[in-house]
Amino acid sequence: MIDAGLMLLDRQLIDADGMLAGKVDDLELTFPEGGGPPVVTAILAGPGALAGRLGGRLGHLVEVVAARLRHPEETPGRISFGLVKRIDSAVRLSAQRAELDTDRVESLVRDYVIRRIPGGDHAPE
Amino acid sequence: MKKLLEVALGILTAVGGFVDIGDLVAATATGARFGLALAWVLVLGVIGIVIYAEMAGRVATVSHRPVFDLVRERLGARVALANLFASFFVTLLTLAAEIGGVALAVELLTGINYLLWVPPAALLVWLVLWRMRFQVMENLFGLAGLTLLVVVVAVWHAHPDWSALLHGATHPAVPMGEGRPTYFYFAIALLGSAMTPYEVFFFSSGAVEEGWSTTDLIVNRMNVYLGFPLGGALALAVMVAATLFLQPRGIDPTHLSQVALPVVLVLGKVGLAFTIFAFFAATFGAALETGLSCGYTIAQYFGWQWGKYVKPAQAARFHLVMLVSVVTGALLILTTIDPIKLTEYMLVLSAAALPLTYFPILVVANDPDYMGSKVNSRISNAIGSVLLVILVVIMLAAPPLMIITKAGQ
Amino acid sequence: MRLSELLHAEVLDEHGRSPGRVQDVRLVQDGPVVGSFGAAFRVAGLVVGSTRTFGVRLGYDRREVNGPWPVKALITYLLRSARYVPWERVRSIEADRVVITGSIDDLQPPGSPG
Repeated sequence: MIDAGLMLLDRQLIDADGMLAGKVDDLELTFPEGGGPPVVTAILAGPGALAGRLGGRLGHLVEVVAARLRHPEETPGRISFGLVKRIDSAVRLSAQRAELDTDRVESLVRDYVIRRIPGGDHAPE
Repeated sequence: MKKLLEVALGILTAVGGFVDIGDLVAATATGARFGLALAWVLVLGVIGIVIYAEMAGRVATVSHRPVFDLVRERLGARVALANLFASFFVTLLTLAAEIGGVALAVELLTGINYLLWVPPAALLVWLVLWRMRFQVMENLFGLAGLTLLVVVVAVWHAHPDWSALLHGATHPAVPMGEGRPTYFYFAIALLGSAMTPYEVFFFSSGAVEEGWSTTDLIVNRMNVYLGFPLGGALALAVMVAATLFLQPRGIDPTHLSQVALPVVLVLGKVGLAFTIFAFFAATFGAALETGLSCGYTIAQYFGWQWGKYVKPAQAARFHLVMLVSVVTGALLILTTIDPIKLTEYMLVLSAAALPLTYFPILVVANDPDYMGSKVNSRISNAIGSVLLVILVVIMLAAPPLMIITKAGQ
Repeated sequence: MRLSELLHAEVLDEHGRSPGRVQDVRLVQDGPVVGSFGAAFRVAGLVVGSTRTFGVRLGYDRREVNGPWPVKALITYLLRSARYVPWERVRSIEADRVVITGSIDDLQPPGSPG
């Protein structure tokens, strides 16, 4: 047994290659068809998910900004719990971060800003 | 030499923590107005940062989790966000001040107004953050910052009355013309700046950048035990120099040139040349430290990939934050605001960030799930706890003291 | 539903009395198999207490953090009124409120999740 707040929430997400992929901002709970306690079906990460944690006016503000950044059909960063490989001091995933919902803003910044500056694609020297 | 390079991270962190532009002016002002009556605060500050940087470094070495990661994990998303606002804002202002400091150092050399040097200084700082490898950066600027030892040389050559100095340091007394509240205001500012949070943000992230693992715990200790006392010693030397040369003349320093005055009086032109180079190296190193810390704090709160150990394209948002921070800092200086005065007014904010930063470090360093057998010793816990209480007192005392003393006037 | 909707929700027993707010959610790994993770986590119960957030995530009460002793003593004292509500006793979940069956007097302290 684990306590979600202690062991899951706000933990670092690390992808299959060891790259950092965000934080566990919230968890998706689904009530099963036949009744009974809810099951943890997904990790929620990103500004849309974080807004729920911050609550109040601050959370609402974050939610508005996040909705602007998001494609209309996209759900806020959702990572199916089946992609979790292991939980220790971080939550390790079995997928690469490029495959995750949550990589969108990072790849936008990469393509439109960083790749346009000379040297962005090279290792530092 | 190789042994010296292994402690470059500690030295660079300490340079940015003890002798950056704000500290150079503050240590000089403290020496000029209070003599060595506040030297004990520097000693306390060194003890504090040594204990906590060792903890933060140990946690980063064993668990690969840097400080801001832990702040959010243990205090929750809301409280950590409050810390993020305060810490990032203060670090950004300090970055602005350092860029200004680099420009001022070049002005001292060339006589050309510092504002013209701000854009090239900012560009150079950003280029190093963009392209230079972490190890090269820390070795280069850590060693370069050591040229501040010229102040120690100057003090030695001045043949001061050592027993009088020692007496002044061990029998702190508020001099005529200064009030008790001002004394405590300076004490708080000095301690707050010796333990400023970006030092542990930078040091713990640096430990991960260096790839330290459990076999490197000794390296962590060496960095801490050598680097920070050295930084404190440099700050103390600046304070002593001001006590010897500025206090008798009643000079209250507000400009970098007055900080250089004691060395010039003792060592002449050669001393001046070394001093200007030392100012340049120290403020540039501090600009790198604060610039990186701006990126580290935000990226580590949100969980973004950070670090110079990956290509910029792999840590896109982290590099964007640093770019925006450097540009913002440069623009701020170009408005001709005095950035040092600005960081002084931010004392209340930075004082608030202190307990919120150090408390999670103390807790995680005691967590066997994270640290295995490397949890805190009783000594670390004892000193760490006492310091935490002091930091909370500082947090509470800063606002009223700032108002009463009108920020140390 | 999201976990954040459960956290900080006020808890009320059948007499309208409150042992506090939801501080944490205890999970047990015995749900249906999901992806490569294995058995999914199911909610086993709620940790409820009167302190809003301070000290709840530090690990002094439900994990193994032991030092420094003054901090442990202080946090343990602040969290002394925490109680555990097994999921079977949850009657209904409304917006920002959880209603449980029975009385708050027969709730146990949360202990370690083990």
